[in-house]
Amino acid sequence: MAGISIRGLSKSFGEKSEVAAVSDIDIEIKDNSFVTLLGPSGCGKTTTLRLIAGYIVPDTGTIEINGRVLSSPSGVVSPEARGMGMVFQNYAIWPHKTVFENVVFGLKIRKVPAAEAKKKVTEALALVNLSGLEARYPNELSGGQQQRVALARSLVVEPDILLLDEPLSNLDAKLRERMRTELKELQRRTGITFVYVTHDQAEALALSDHIAVMSAGRVQQFGSPFDVYAHPSNRMVADFMGLVNLVPGTVRAVANGRGTVAVADDLTFDVAAPAGLAAGDRVDVAIRPENIRLEAPGAAGGVTAKLTNHVFLGNISEYYVTFPSGPVLRVQTHPLQRMNVGDDVSVVVDALQCSAFRHDGATSA
Amino acid sequence: MSTEAIQTTLRAAPMAQPRRVRLEHIVMGGAILSLIVLVVLPLLFLLVGSLKGEQGMSLDHFAEVLSGRLYVNALKNSLILGAWTGLFSLLIGLVLAWAVARTDVPGKKFINATATLSYLLPPFLTAIAFTYLFSPNAGLINVLMRDVLGLPWLTFNIFSMTGLVIVTVMHTFPFVYLLASSALQSVDASYEEAAQILGASKMRTAFSITAPLVAPAVLSGTLLAFVNAIALFGSQAIIGLPGRIVTLPTRIYALFDYPPEYGLASALSLVFVILTVGALYLQRSFLAKRSYVTLGGKGSRPQLMELGIFRWVVFGFAVIIFVIAILAPYSTLIAVSFSKSWGLEFWKNLTLANYKFILFEYNVTQRAILNSLFLATIAATLAVLLGTVMGWIDLRTRIPGRKILDYASLVPLGLPGIVVAVALIQFWLAMPVALYGTLTILLLAYVGRYLPLGVRAANASLRQVDPSLEESATILGASWLTTLREVTLPLIRPGLFAGWLLVFVPVIQELSASILLFSSSSITLAVAVYNLYETGYIEPVAALAMINMMIIGVAIWLAYRIGGRSAGSRSEPAPVSA
Repeated sequence: MAGISIRGLSKSFGEKSEVAAVSDIDIEIKDNSFVTLLGPSGCGKTTTLRLIAGYIVPDTGTIEINGRVLSSPSGVVSPEARGMGMVFQNYAIWPHKTVFENVVFGLKIRKVPAAEAKKKVTEALALVNLSGLEARYPNELSGGQQQRVALARSLVVEPDILLLDEPLSNLDAKLRERMRTELKELQRRTGITFVYVTHDQAEALALSDHIAVMSAGRVQQFGSPFDVYAHPSNRMVADFMGLVNLVPGTVRAVANGRGTVAVADDLTFDVAAPAGLAAGDRVDVAIRPENIRLEAPGAAGGVTAKLTNHVFLGNISEYYVTFPSGPVLRVQTHPLQRMNVGDDVSVVVDALQCSAFRHDGATSA
Repeated sequence: MSTEAIQTTLRAAPMAQPRRVRLEHIVMGGAILSLIVLVVLPLLFLLVGSLKGEQGMSLDHFAEVLSGRLYVNALKNSLILGAWTGLFSLLIGLVLAWAVARTDVPGKKFINATATLSYLLPPFLTAIAFTYLFSPNAGLINVLMRDVLGLPWLTFNIFSMTGLVIVTVMHTFPFVYLLASSALQSVDASYEEAAQILGASKMRTAFSITAPLVAPAVLSGTLLAFVNAIALFGSQAIIGLPGRIVTLPTRIYALFDYPPEYGLASALSLVFVILTVGALYLQRSFLAKRSYVTLGGKGSRPQLMELGIFRWVVFGFAVIIFVIAILAPYSTLIAVSFSKSWGLEFWKNLTLANYKFILFEYNVTQRAILNSLFLATIAATLAVLLGTVMGWIDLRTRIPGRKILDYASLVPLGLPGIVVAVALIQFWLAMPVALYGTLTILLLAYVGRYLPLGVRAANASLRQVDPSLEESATILGASWLTTLREVTLPLIRPGLFAGWLLVFVPVIQELSASILLFSSSSITLAVAVYNLYETGYIEPVAALAMINMMIIGVAIWLAYRIGGRSAGSRSEPAPVSA
């Protein structure tokens, strides 16, 4: 079993290093944990994974596994000597080999005796529910089955670390959800350290012990799923993790780590103040739609607004409320709470769950 | 009740518009009929002719062809030539493809250009150029080595199987190169990375993952090289005959010496066809497995292998190929074309007389140039037009049997030029129209032979036009003709023009079929080159060859200029032989 320490890792491609693919990555991945690198495409998550696998030499920084440096600018231990497993986005199941031949490949490399190898392959295929398909060729398998072959092929060699590059992105929604549960279960059972790359925040929240939210080649936040969702460290993270209302406002006062932000004369929020916040600062208040309640006009702590739009989504209802001074908030309610567009409602915001982010020059709402 | 009503309406709908379909049917019917006249009937008559004995049907001709020493020997020589050519094409093509696709060898564009040019240059001109250098007595290099430098062991007799193989390989290795390099480049890197992370070394990965994935493409290229090699009449006549190496095309050619042996020629042609079609069938089935290579997609490119100092060795190898295939033969042709008399001291008497002779003084070569330009223009136009209709039928209609039509239009790929000529002779001699020796029969031969190139070009272009583009014109009320004119043709025009040039170039240098079909009035450029060479006009031959090269050069330059670059490189190389 193994933990991974990534320190000051940077890599840029091309002749001139004008755009870094990743820069200053610091992540501590604990043994037996499920860590997700999450971010939009081009954020450097796959590059980070390939750095961990040893396909790429870093420009700066080191990757250590169990205290042993495997990657540094002066050289990398090649992928074949790392004893890791990897599941590729397109599965990379060899089309000219049967399921059995695909899975047994790593064991052959390790010179495992044939009888024992056969037993292990059978076990690995049973683990991913593929028993009986040993003689099939990849083109005779569904996408989900190919995905399991890729998993079995990586697991059969009992790696300490398994790297997964968007392994579920090519599956349909239903199957993706089922495989998600199975992956998590598998990780618990085997105790293998999983490093998982995805752009799907729901997947990351559901699977991970820790999430590294990445953007523009940098780790924006590294923490538990609850932390990154409920206490995003910046606008980008708040915006990327699920739905959020970002409302611009001005800080009126700061006291005891809380700040009062005025969005409009009739609308102020009492939020946790980031360090160094001062009265007069321009900020965005991040309010998740599920942290807003709609009540009958006149409710305590509520601000009156008008319902201007309604979208019924089945398990939830979405309402848009417009305040007299202009701002619009998106609100999620229980589908049985039924109101009519045009009604006046009292909007109650759970201020404890809100965050404020200072305007950084160019960033705008 | 209501469902029934709907079904009735649906069934009635197509019946409402038979009037509109008529033009489309005439065009398609015409195309199918042309295919029958160009390919199917001549082949049937070839079969019938081979079975026509002294009295009624018999297998006598086949018995003779399969046991007579002359014929068995020709078959044996063809197989030897094909096998060696295939082997060396494989070695050269694979090494260069691997170097370009997977290593840091310098001059990748140069290597690529060498392969492309080697494929485009007419092999019978390369053969003639080599005789200027290496014919046993008068060859320039042989004379230099033996008489001037006193190194007789450094002479080389081009009129040998070795000579024939060398000249042929220079034309055929690009088949392996093109298929292998595209396969090596399109193998998804993640296949190899997956093996690597499981602990496989570079060597192990190359042998157990990469090699099996690209093998179909490489084998398919080798078989194409084989088929092309044995079908080349020109080089086998120019180099083989003086060295007494008779092969299938040259034996068939000899059967037309007076008195012509039509029956034997037909039987031998069919044996030849079985060989080439068999090889092409194998090639198709290998290629069918190529779906391997196009799989995947999003993975990254494989990392290039660093060869260190060895990369200059590989580059040197490419330079040697460039010298043998292009530089030596074509600088020789240029030099000869400007010489008063070819020899060690040719540079002392440079002249334009040879060009003046073939362009202004000798009416045979004048006629040959004009005939070839005329034939190539018409043949390319017809092949592309027919090809477009065939492609349309295959991709856009549901006419039953359209797949058979598609296969039939590709059949000529498996037919050596000389076999096409024999089949056309058999067919048209039996018809009441006297076509033998006319420009028309040459035109029929060219259109039939190169129809597959037209079909391919049209097919590739049509595939890139989504049917919904046409459907959205139809739904607005446009007729078939209007849709074709306003939507389809403008979209596929660049592809069709590239296809036109792809037919034009080989027709300008066509020799294998023309050699049996021409007459003094319908002589073509390649035939004139061959005949002048046979009669010993050494210097004018080179000048005429240069004219040939210039026409090809202009056509290829145009093809690259007019967006043909992608169309030309995308289509898989087809057997094109002179």
